[in-house]
Amino acid sequence: MGDNNNINNNVNLPPGFRFYPTDEELVVHFLHRKASLLPCHPDVIPDLDLYPFDPWQLQGRALEEGNQWYYYSRRTQNRITNNGYWMPMGMEEQVVTSSSNKRVGVKKYYVFLIGDAPNGSKTNWIMQEYRLSDSASSSSRSSSKRKSHPKSEHSRWVICRVYERDEDDGEDGDGIELSCLDEVFLSLDDLDEVSLPN
Amino acid sequence: MPDNMSISVNGQSQVPPGFRFHPTEEELLQYYLRKKVSYEKIDLDVIRDVDLNKLEPWDIQEKCKIGTTPQNDWYFFSHKDKKYPTGTRTNRATAAGFWKATGRDKVIYSNGKRIGMRKTLVFYKGRAPHGQKSDWIMHEYRLDDNTTTSDANLVSNVIGDGGQEEGWVVCRIFKKKNHLKTLDSPLGSGEGRRNHHLFDNCDEGALEQILQQMGRGGCKEENYEANYNNNNYGRFTRPYETSLNNNGGYNNNERFMKLPSLESPKSTSMENNENNNEGYHAIIQVDVANDHHHQHHNNMVNNPLEASSSSMVIASCGDGGLANWVALDRLVASQLNGQTETSRQLACFNDPTMGYCTNDHDLQLPTLRSSSSTSSLSTHVRATTSTTTYISPSHEYASEIDLWNFARSTSSLLSSSEPLCHVSNTSA
Repeated sequence: MGDNNNINNNVNLPPGFRFYPTDEELVVHFLHRKASLLPCHPDVIPDLDLYPFDPWQLQGRALEEGNQWYYYSRRTQNRITNNGYWMPMGMEEQVVTSSSNKRVGVKKYYVFLIGDAPNGSKTNWIMQEYRLSDSASSSSRSSSKRKSHPKSEHSRWVICRVYERDEDDGEDGDGIELSCLDEVFLSLDDLDEVSLPN
Repeated sequence: MPDNMSISVNGQSQVPPGFRFHPTEEELLQYYLRKKVSYEKIDLDVIRDVDLNKLEPWDIQEKCKIGTTPQNDWYFFSHKDKKYPTGTRTNRATAAGFWKATGRDKVIYSNGKRIGMRKTLVFYKGRAPHGQKSDWIMHEYRLDDNTTTSDANLVSNVIGDGGQEEGWVVCRIFKKKNHLKTLDSPLGSGEGRRNHHLFDNCDEGALEQILQQMGRGGCKEENYEANYNNNNYGRFTRPYETSLNNNGGYNNNERFMKLPSLESPKSTSMENNENNNEGYHAIIQVDVANDHHHQHHNNMVNNPLEASSSSMVIASCGDGGLANWVALDRLVASQLNGQTETSRQLACFNDPTMGYCTNDHDLQLPTLRSSSSTSSLSTHVRATTSTTTYISPSHEYASEIDLWNFARSTSSLLSSSEPLCHVSNTSA
């Protein structure tokens, strides 16, 4: 918690570098290493344990990049916070390695509701919770020779990525994709390349 | 832990995991390009120099790798000094093709102050008369003259966009995304989320340029055959396709227009039939409200080709008594095979009597809402469509969306040149 959450102080990178991890990186480089008690390099994601922070309290506590917040937490049955709770959205995605297509983790979606379960009111806050897939954790356990850690210990870590959806997050959208306007121009280029008998 | 993490593009050490080079436009101009033009040393060799005439986009992709992390875009410096012997335009031809500018340059601001411009270019394979458009896009950033020479007298010159033919620029290339693909990913992950700014950057005055281009009607050299076949029908399928794929999604589909259901051909289609003119009427209506262009408005209505392309399909749908969009889709697909309607529709764009945009370059259209208001936009559209007044002339939002929807579907087709029957299959 007392970690310095400013990436630039932590990692010596020139301007323009940002923390935009792929799912695979989050699972393999961060979650897996954390769970295996290996040093994370760079150690930029703070551990918030099971602190019941509301999503808007993550500012200054979790790692922030581009309107997204990252932190370590633990697997838990109830995700109740100070003023609400995270409710599963019923969506899970497998995280696979790009090289071997091996399943290494699972990404599960939650939505934040304000109030007491089950009568909370929905918000735009979304959480993606990454956990190691069971096969990955068991195989890594045997390979990492850390048999002293029971499975529950190993697989109880998760990484959370929290963001507010439909937010005006144009600040990282500048120019990376074509705007709709550009698309229009592109298509118009084609249109007037077609000459018709007038 | 203060990691001494250095980056070498040569592959000795790497970018730490999870980090990407995602500079803002401001960082590109203010930090990287400014250092480059003033010969300051840039700590890490992140952005390399590239001779644009010598490297194809796919080679640049190889040369400008940063570390070993997967990249979606690539950055380089380029020195603009090559000109065609006969003119002042920059020669951006490579061995395999050429870069062609599109649209209008965008002004880049830093703290409210103008610092430079961005030009968008598309890579065409082949030689100019027969070039084939690719998915490779380049954004070319240049600093304003006055910020480099600190000569205040140049301001007016800069606005005029002159004298920009030489010097260092910083470029980003990337492959245009197929929007359908990003929509297919079930939920907006961090990465995917950024791809949905369909309504971003719609700066004011841009519509004006679109209209200019639409009215220009000049014939250009490239790509006649390919686009002739692709442009016209597929765009109609796009909204349908999009809404289909979004069913069950929760997030981004709200940005897209939902088409009205056609359960009741009598009411819906007939009404659309009657409102046939209003596709353009609505757009012009905004114009009228803002200014006094009744003249152009009248031109529009009296023109036999006044029906907008998008409403033409709906009209024919009504004639056939089709009951749903699948049937509509088939109709369009069958027409595609015939290719009969093509010239008629294209005439909408090239007809010289539709001079409303070329006549008046000062046409004032309302500023398009930025992404912050897109949700309210889409709400309006849905409200409009559900009451079967597909296009409501009095509804400013609706008319805007109509234009955008039409335009976007036009463009998205170009990236996926799949035949229409494919869409039918999807819907079945």
